[in-house]
Amino acid sequence: MALVRTPVAAEALRTPRRRTTFIQRESTLAYLYMIPGWSILLLFMAYPFFLGIYLSMTDRMLGWPGANFIGLENYRILWNDSVFQQTVRNTAIYGIGTVPFKLLLGLALALLLNRPFRLSRAVRAGLLLPWIVPTALSSLAWLMLFNGVLSPISWVLKDLGVIDQNINFLGSAWNARISLCIANIWRGIPFFAITILAGLQAVPNELHEAAALDGASKVQRFFSVTLPVIRSIILIATLFSIIWTISDFQLVYVLTKGGPANTTHVFGTYAYQIGMGATDLGQAAAISLYMFPALALGAILLLRYVRRED
Amino acid sequence: MTDERISRLLQEATRLRYSRRQVLRRAVALGLSVPAVTAALDRSAIAAPGPRFGRAPAVLQGTKLTILAATYFVPAAQDFFVQQAQQWGQENNVEMTLDFVNWPDLQPKIGAAVQAKSGPDIVELWDTWPYLYYQSMVEVNDLANKLGEAQGGYFDWVVKTAAVDGEWYSIPTGNSTSAFAYRISYFQEAGAEEFPQTWEELFEVGKKLKAMGKPLGQALGHSPGDPPSFVYPYMWAYGAMEVAEDGKTVMFNQPEFVEGMKIFIQAWKDAFDETGLSWDDSVNNSAFLSDQISATLNGNSIYLAALKPEEEGGKPEIAEDMSHAGYPAGPAGRFNNLGSRSLGIMSYSGNVEGAKAFLEWWASEEQYQAWLEVYEGYIIPPTPKFIELPVYTEDPKLAPYAEVATYARNKGYAGPANQNAARVFAEYIIVDTFARAVQDGDAEAAIKWGADRLERIYGR
Repeated sequence: MALVRTPVAAEALRTPRRRTTFIQRESTLAYLYMIPGWSILLLFMAYPFFLGIYLSMTDRMLGWPGANFIGLENYRILWNDSVFQQTVRNTAIYGIGTVPFKLLLGLALALLLNRPFRLSRAVRAGLLLPWIVPTALSSLAWLMLFNGVLSPISWVLKDLGVIDQNINFLGSAWNARISLCIANIWRGIPFFAITILAGLQAVPNELHEAAALDGASKVQRFFSVTLPVIRSIILIATLFSIIWTISDFQLVYVLTKGGPANTTHVFGTYAYQIGMGATDLGQAAAISLYMFPALALGAILLLRYVRRED
Repeated sequence: MTDERISRLLQEATRLRYSRRQVLRRAVALGLSVPAVTAALDRSAIAAPGPRFGRAPAVLQGTKLTILAATYFVPAAQDFFVQQAQQWGQENNVEMTLDFVNWPDLQPKIGAAVQAKSGPDIVELWDTWPYLYYQSMVEVNDLANKLGEAQGGYFDWVVKTAAVDGEWYSIPTGNSTSAFAYRISYFQEAGAEEFPQTWEELFEVGKKLKAMGKPLGQALGHSPGDPPSFVYPYMWAYGAMEVAEDGKTVMFNQPEFVEGMKIFIQAWKDAFDETGLSWDDSVNNSAFLSDQISATLNGNSIYLAALKPEEEGGKPEIAEDMSHAGYPAGPAGRFNNLGSRSLGIMSYSGNVEGAKAFLEWWASEEQYQAWLEVYEGYIIPPTPKFIELPVYTEDPKLAPYAEVATYARNKGYAGPANQNAARVFAEYIIVDTFARAVQDGDAEAAIKWGADRLERIYGR
C-alpha cells in the first residue's frame, strides 16, 4: 500500500496548497465515494420508480410513440374496475392465507431443528431447498402436482380408493386460491425457519437452565425466555414476508395466470396482463403503484423497528 | 436402429431419384428425425440443396439474425424450421439464433422487446397483434404482396387478421386450426355413429360419455389457444358477437346467447371434465392421449402425436380409434375462429435487410411448402396455392381441418381484428365470461359482466 501511495503523496506536496485542500476535504471525498452507490440507487431504484409514477399518469401504449398526460384517470378507472377490485381482494386473501401459516410452521420447524440431533447440519441445509430453488422451476413442479387430469396426488388417492374423481385443484375459485396458498407456504417456510433458527441459536443456554432450576415449564420457558429474544427477528421476517407475498408474481403466473375467471389475479399478474398483453402501460403502472402504499407502510414499520433495535 | 432406417431411406432416394423435399416428406411419414435426415442428406450427394434461392446480398455476410417464435405443437416442424434457418444462415454467412417460448409467453416477450427497443429481429405474431405492434415494425407491403400474388393471393381471412387496415407489417404464415378430435368407439358406445351436428346434440352425447368416465374436454383457463377456439365460435353460434360492424356497438348481451350459456352451464356439469377451468393449451392434448377424455377441440397435433411409433411415445391404438369433426352448429349457424399468424421485422432491428432476405427465401414456394409438408396439415396456408397439397387431402381423418376456412370469423367480428379485439383477447374477456358462468351458474350475470368489459374497450 505504502509503495502505491508514495508517489501520490509526493505529487500532492508539489501541487498548490488550495487544490490539496479541496481534494483532501472530507466532505468532498465523502460525496465522491458515495457516487457509485448513489448511481446504482438512482439508476435501478429511483429512475424506474419515478418512471412508473409518470407512466401511471399517462395513456402510454406499448410500442406507440408519445403519450398524453391524463392525471389520475388510470387510478380512477381502476377504482371502478371489477377485475381490479377482485385483484385487491385476492391479494388480501393470498397474504392472510399464507403469512401466518408460514410464520407458525417456520417457528415450529426452527424449534425442532434447534435441538441437537444426528445430521442436523445436513437437514438444516436441505431445509433451504424450497427457498433457493428458482421459483419458476418449483412452480412448474406444483403445476404438475395440481394438473386437473394427470395430477399424481389425484391418481394416488384414486388408486387408494379415497376419491373417485380427480381433485379440481386450480379449476374453481377457492380451490385455486387454497392451492396457491399451499405452494406459497411451502416455498416460504424455510425463510422463517432459518431466520428464526439463527435467532434461537443466540438464546443463551444459561437463561434456560436458570429458568428450569426455578421450576419453569417448557411452555413458560418458551414464552418468557425464548420468545423475548427472538421477537424482533420474528417481526422482521414477518414484515419481509408480507412485502414479498403481496408483490408475488411467479407462482401465480405459472400456476393460474390469474384464472379461472380472474379469481387468483394478484397485483403483479394483473399488471402484467394489462401491460404486456393488452399493451396499456399507463394502466399497468397504476395497478403496480396501487401496491405502493401497503408496501411502503410495511417498509416504514420495518425500518423504524430495525432502527429502534439498533 | 434409426441410422439404419435413415440409410435405407437414402438408398431409396437414390434409386427413385427423390428431390430433397420428397426425401424430407418421406422422413416425416416414416417418423424419422428431420434434422438427422437433413444432416445425412448434407453429408451425402443425394438430393443436394437445389439452386440457391434468394441468396442474400454480400453486405449481409457476417451479420446476425434472431427469431422469436412460439413453441410448435408439432416438434418435427419446429426442428425443420430451425434447420431451414440454419441452412440459410450457412449459405449466406449470417449467424442465426432462434428462440421458442410457450404460447402464453410469446406476447409478453414481444412487448418487452418493443419497449426496450432491443431483442429479436423477427417475431412471430398472432392474429390481431400486428395492430398492436405495427408502429414498431417494418412495413413490408412489397414483399408480402409479391409473395401473395405469386401464390394466388391471400385468403380474405388472412388479410382481415394479419394486415393492418390493408397494410402489411408482417408476412402471413397461415395458422393452426381447430376441429373436434374424438374417439370413434366411445361415441359409438354412447349411441352416436356420427359426430353430432349441433352443440346441443353434442352435449347430449357428452352426458353419456361423462357417465362412462370419458367426458368431453375443454380448456377455459387463461391461455391463448384452446379456450378462445371454443368460446368465440360458441358465442357466434348463439347469435352474439363482440361488436357490430361499426366496431363500436357491443352486441354481446343477446337473449339467444343467454339461453345458449344456460345450456352450456348445465352441459359443463353433465358432459365436461370440470377441471377444464384450469387447463392451458397442452392439458387437453395429454388428457386425450392418456385416454381420459373422449373429445376435445384442438389442432391436429393430438393425432400427429398419436400416429408416431410406440417407441417414440406414439399411441397407435388411439390414432386408429380417433377421427376429427368440424364445429357443431348453434341456432345462429356454424362458426369457428380463424386468423393468420405472421412473421414481422422489428423496426429497431440492426439487420432489416437480412431479415427481409430471410423471410423472402423462407416464404418462397419451395421452402414454405416443405415446411407445410413437415407440419402435416397442422397449419392452414394463407394462400390457395397449397391447399390441395396431399397433406391436406391424403388422410380423410384430417379433412375437417382444411374446411374450417369456409365458415371462419375473425376476433373482433363483425368489426375488424384491431387493437380493441386484441385487447379483448389479451384480457380473456370472452373466455372469462364463460368461466364465470360455469363457476357461478348465472348466465345473465356473466354475460352482463362480459358486456360491461367489452363496453369499456369498444366504447372508448
